[in-house]
Amino acid sequence: MFNIDMEGIDLEKIYDLIVLGGGPTAIGCAIYAARFAMDVLIIGKIFGGLIATTHLVENYPGITSTSGQGLMEMFKDHMDSLSIPYISDEIRSIEKIDDYFVLHSFFQQFKAYTVCIATGSERKKLGIPGEEEFAGRGVSYCATCDGPFYKDKTVCVIGGSDSAAKEALFLAQNVKKVYIIYRGEEIRAEPINKKRVYENDKIEIINNTNIVEIKGDTKVKSVIFESGKEFKIDGVFIEIGSLPNSDLAKKLEVETNKKGEIKINRKSETNVPGIFAAGDVADAPFKQAITGVSEGVIAAYSAFDYLKQTKIEY
Amino acid sequence: MSQDEKYKEIIKREMAKLNRPVKLKVVTSQSAKPDGTKIRACMDCDQFLSLLRVYEENSNGLLTIEELSIDENPDFAKRYDIQRVPTILFIDEQGREYIRYLAAPQGGEIQPFIQAVFTFAGAPNYYEATIKKNLDRISPSTLKIMITNQCPYCPQVVTIANQFAIASEGKVRTVVVDIMANPDIGQYYDAAGVPYTIINDQKTLVGMIGPNEILRALIGGNIRVQY
Repeated sequence: MFNIDMEGIDLEKIYDLIVLGGGPTAIGCAIYAARFAMDVLIIGKIFGGLIATTHLVENYPGITSTSGQGLMEMFKDHMDSLSIPYISDEIRSIEKIDDYFVLHSFFQQFKAYTVCIATGSERKKLGIPGEEEFAGRGVSYCATCDGPFYKDKTVCVIGGSDSAAKEALFLAQNVKKVYIIYRGEEIRAEPINKKRVYENDKIEIINNTNIVEIKGDTKVKSVIFESGKEFKIDGVFIEIGSLPNSDLAKKLEVETNKKGEIKINRKSETNVPGIFAAGDVADAPFKQAITGVSEGVIAAYSAFDYLKQTKIEY
Repeated sequence: MSQDEKYKEIIKREMAKLNRPVKLKVVTSQSAKPDGTKIRACMDCDQFLSLLRVYEENSNGLLTIEELSIDENPDFAKRYDIQRVPTILFIDEQGREYIRYLAAPQGGEIQPFIQAVFTFAGAPNYYEATIKKNLDRISPSTLKIMITNQCPYCPQVVTIANQFAIASEGKVRTVVVDIMANPDIGQYYDAAGVPYTIINDQKTLVGMIGPNEILRALIGGNIRVQY
């Protein structure tokens, strides 16, 4: 139930597995670890991860349609049924001592024989003037969080991915008009969502366009196109992809690719024995909740297997 | 099961685990009818109190919600600068205010509220040791957290801020504001996004923030670890 389960944690114990992250990948990993009778703990900054901000999840088997938050509530119930503790914190460094790892946060330190890094990714920023200045005052990275502030107003979604299309569809429920501003020719949404976007009278796509500045006074008033044209708008929702949260892994000398994603094999193993990775932070080309869960589950099994080989009692 | 019933079930299940007595105050406004009986005058007060009674009734008698009318307790209202009702207050025995809610603890906000009730009652606080280690470097501070009921990140920021407030024994005070119910406060701070955290009316932290970011902002420098 709690975001900080003090009763469920033991700071002296060496956990079999500590999972870092708070999204579906981390939870899938922990559920399987608990079922393997491993002592498992989840430490995450954001319970739910990025999917918690998605208003519609329709591609998770067994669940025809729910919100990202709804899906996470189901995951939370599942965790609770297995008494998996969760701590809302951020690990800043990991060191190897003998046959276990010590994980340090600013608040506590934890010990574990194995670690699964499932820290996901964070939204990319445009990096243009006005973006930081107007954050929370017209610039948003979360339509579910901030959409209700724009009732009957005109907003734009920057980006052409499936997530951008879903943000536009969610916003269209309440706003007067949504413009999808995309640098490419045609948005890259899943066909089912692309069709919904094209059929929605409130949504208009402005393609082959980049924005170079966000302007306003106390709140956003307009965006400036690369052509120099000023376009009046009340809110700017930025959905241009994400960057892997892999800094911690890099400090541990875990190998990453050019995008900063952790390199894993089919067993979700990294190059560092005892350290596993899964989900958006890892180097799979197709990133979905379901694929992350799958990698997380494999990581749990591989961690279990690793313990069997390295610990006598396994 | 409807969403409301589901949330009631969560409150029932979790409040039954409370094992220490704790008291919260809720400030409302009341007016007298011609026959002398009193009714709550503020629009949301009845609904708000009904919700709080669900917490109280399922706590094995350990949670007490003390209702105070702003009209009958002007000194109290003045001392705690009560500007609007209903307001929930976490006040310790010495009269120090830790947490103030200008928001109904419903939906996603149930979890941080119950966690705060438990810690306020004396349950262990995960952040306490580090907060105490850094307390001499934190000025008396107020964290105002603007939230809405739909925001998935808000309960997480509120949880951390509430735990900081309790760990610091009110040196850091938390004010949780539902800006859909209090739009004037949102407008005053130009907030068009949540969670939107304002420290001492000066520094603003937008979006999801973790314990490190909040503590660094309070200290204005690096964090001392406690282990």
